[in-house]
Amino acid sequence: MILGIDIGGTHTDAVCIDDHKIIATAKSATGDDLVRSILEVVHALGIDYSGISRIVLSTTLSTNAIIEKKYAPTGMIVSAGPGIDPRLYFLTDDFYLVEGAIDHRGREYIPVNQEQVKQIAGELKGKGIAGVGVVSKFSVRNSQHETMIRSIIEEDFENISMGHTMSGSLNFHRRLNTTYFNTAVMPVQSRFVGSVRRALRELGIHAPMLFLKADGGTYSSSAADRLPVETILSGPAASMMGAVALCRDLNTTTLVLDVGGTTTDIGILIDGVPILEPRGVNINGLETLVRGLKVVSVGAGGDSYVQVKGGTLCVGPQRHGPPAAMGGSAPTPMDAFAILGKFDSGDRDRARSAVSGIAQTLGREVDDVSREIISVMVDNIRTTALDFIDEVNSNPVYTIYEMLHPELVKPEQVMIIGGPARQLQPYIEEAFQLKCIVPDHAMVANALGAALARTTAQITMLADTQQRRMICPELDIEEEVPLSLSFEELKARGTAIIKENAAYLGLTDDVEISILEEQSFNMVRGFSTTGKNMRLKIQTRPGIIREWSSR
Amino acid sequence: MIKAKNRTGLIFFPAYDWEITPSHPERKERLLYTQDQVMEEGVLDIRGIREFKAGLASQEDINRAHFCVPDVASRITPSHNVSAGGCIEAARLVLEGVVDNAFALVRPPGHHAMRVVHGARGFCNINIEAVMIEWIRRHYPRIKKIAIVDTDCHHGDGTQDVYWHDPNVLYISIHQDGRTLYPGSGFPEEFGGPRAQGMTLNVPLPPKTSDAGMLYVMEHVILPVLDEFKPDLVINSAGQDNHYSDPITNMSFTAGGYARLNEMLRPDICVLEGGYSIEAALPYVNTGIILALAGVDYSYVREPDLDPSRIKEDSRVMDYIKRLSEKLLQLWHDRSSMQPPDGPYMERTRSIFYDTDGISETQKEVIRICEDCPGVFRINSHASTGYHILGIHVPWGACDECRDQAQNWFDYPDDYFYAVYLQDMDRDAYTVKVL
Repeated sequence: MILGIDIGGTHTDAVCIDDHKIIATAKSATGDDLVRSILEVVHALGIDYSGISRIVLSTTLSTNAIIEKKYAPTGMIVSAGPGIDPRLYFLTDDFYLVEGAIDHRGREYIPVNQEQVKQIAGELKGKGIAGVGVVSKFSVRNSQHETMIRSIIEEDFENISMGHTMSGSLNFHRRLNTTYFNTAVMPVQSRFVGSVRRALRELGIHAPMLFLKADGGTYSSSAADRLPVETILSGPAASMMGAVALCRDLNTTTLVLDVGGTTTDIGILIDGVPILEPRGVNINGLETLVRGLKVVSVGAGGDSYVQVKGGTLCVGPQRHGPPAAMGGSAPTPMDAFAILGKFDSGDRDRARSAVSGIAQTLGREVDDVSREIISVMVDNIRTTALDFIDEVNSNPVYTIYEMLHPELVKPEQVMIIGGPARQLQPYIEEAFQLKCIVPDHAMVANALGAALARTTAQITMLADTQQRRMICPELDIEEEVPLSLSFEELKARGTAIIKENAAYLGLTDDVEISILEEQSFNMVRGFSTTGKNMRLKIQTRPGIIREWSSR
Repeated sequence: MIKAKNRTGLIFFPAYDWEITPSHPERKERLLYTQDQVMEEGVLDIRGIREFKAGLASQEDINRAHFCVPDVASRITPSHNVSAGGCIEAARLVLEGVVDNAFALVRPPGHHAMRVVHGARGFCNINIEAVMIEWIRRHYPRIKKIAIVDTDCHHGDGTQDVYWHDPNVLYISIHQDGRTLYPGSGFPEEFGGPRAQGMTLNVPLPPKTSDAGMLYVMEHVILPVLDEFKPDLVINSAGQDNHYSDPITNMSFTAGGYARLNEMLRPDICVLEGGYSIEAALPYVNTGIILALAGVDYSYVREPDLDPSRIKEDSRVMDYIKRLSEKLLQLWHDRSSMQPPDGPYMERTRSIFYDTDGISETQKEVIRICEDCPGVFRINSHASTGYHILGIHVPWGACDECRDQAQNWFDYPDDYFYAVYLQDMDRDAYTVKVL
């Protein structure tokens, strides 16, 4: 039995799966104490706990901690060398710059000033700081500076994270943000894991616990302890993975609309895999290197506030409480559906009286205005979705082959999940001129997505045969390689490395390894080839575990 | 988070699958480390700087700037469609007001490609700036006067050739003295055609010139000349082989110097040209240029091995540059007193060598000295490939008489040509007659 729990901002959803079937679902309000919210929803499922073999949590814990700045003061020790002034990227007074420089090929130009590191460590300790992030520019090409700084300070601090272990991608300022947030939320995450584990044990649940990440994959709780920052923005990832689980035709490019109360999240599935944000996701306006799904949010949901502005009917982006039909006071699209007889559980009279104010202002019939409310909402979603698709298709490409053979994303169907999915279905179909499906269990797609997402990890392999060096920054691996190393050999080594480090990366057995990016360049110096510069990103493919997909 | 003063568009097209030959300096790897540096510096996360996808230049776009022999398809590879298309896209972004300025960081380069193209010269097949400029003039008639400031270390003899007779395109080239470097041209005496005197301005700098010399020329020659010319659009052909680490030149510029140059010049569009110090120069120079265009502090961007005292020019070099600047400015001010020769026609004959492809060409060019327009001209070109062609160029704003002359040349070929080509700018017509 598999248990998936999605702790959202307002609701906590749970779903229990056994033998390819959903056997129980539950929903409860999310409170301030997330452990309590989890216990409540697990109780509400009313299942026998003894058969549970896997629990997956999708939480807003780290997201909220970061957005609300609810974490302990965190220090940063940074070496940058020349380039954009690193101080422009410092988020707090606890960021310290030390001497040291590494270039784009990982060559050291200025050694780390060790005395300076010790002095800074002393200052940070004096401030009572327990967690420190260590970042140097180009550390993903040579992690020596970060490793050295860490070894100097490791006795002094409880939590230390190093930039190159966050991600193998280049981007110094995103590395700073990512490492800072990771270090900051480490204690938050480990306290939470401890409490949840104790609480579940009390219920007799001993199954391994996994966490959903922003990229729609999961990882073990031990990997989450080390890299909690990967759990940010797992909410939209849960919905998109739910859509993957519920999509019957994975070969069809699918536009996914997750319609909530306030917003609609829009994503795209290609061959059953949601598309990713190429450089990393943003949180609270700050860029990170966290691999995450490319999802856009539009302020149009079932509870969006409807008003007349300058003679025009506007839907959203704010929400002013629940729909009138559900006991609220402000008119919403759900009220429009109630008036049109498409929302039976709502109070039609209350809806009508809420919308009638607007109808009067516009001097039109209530039914007519109701239809327009829906059409404005659908139009907002459509415009955002089309812009989103345009943006995906205008991603720059760097080879002539890709310029001449563009692989444009063109959705062939729409899937709607979330509260008002059924009501919206015919309108969306009309607006997009595409088949629009509303799967069963659309209401708990998020918890389902969490429950069923496969474990994922990604590593970067860089070989510079001129320097006889191969590195994998995420795993702190550096090996000597021969000048003759071939691309195939590098791939094989990368695949082996992922398997050897599966437990550390938080992977379970159910993984499929695939090559995400591959580049190989002859290094030409003075009219002759002196080596190869080879770059690989290897991942385990995101997807749905066999317990569900092989049904 | 850093916010830029300007909105800057970046067209990055490293053509990772194109090379001249596997060990040629114009290689697949050329922009790899630049991409690494730009990515690592987080340049694309700066608010205001945006990356855009390159486009594809069409055959029609290329035919506005060139006579490709025998035709466009035979002379280029798709890489050239993209690099010229990347420039066009940069221009479109600027002219549509999507961005304030743009940088086409593309390859292959173009500034050695002349109007007639029999093959590749100096790693260039087609002139990507010229293709862009003619696209701009076609689609944005409000842009009348264009200035190109070519800061590649090699004289941009191709761009000079394309605009030699054009009174509305000012071509200024700063380069290492042609007596010491390919292509061996670019002297102050090369000053523009009879109806475009002063519209070509060459600044040959002595080897070992560093930032101080370059910026002196910027301040004392180029900016005053631009102030007087008042262009509607300024383009920087941003070659980066003046760098102290460049393996095939002898100059001593730095990344900081390039950034400062662009800050002073404030170009609307930058186009990458040469630059083959792919690890030690390009990553820093390109980062510096992008930041300068965007109006972001670049003062900490420098090469890790930079030792300014080692590359500073000596006083003799500086004195030479000061005298040269004075001479050039005088020449520029005297340009209007230079009388065009008495008509009706003027002729010049030259030999052109295509070093990349090993082709020799002889050209006999005839221009009509016209009072009413820039003047129609014809190029009778004979190459060692065996092709012998006549290219007739009807300039923007051509008068009726010049147009009649063009038609007459086209209709009655006076030699054994393989083909005659007629390029009519105002009518956007390109006619080929294979004989």
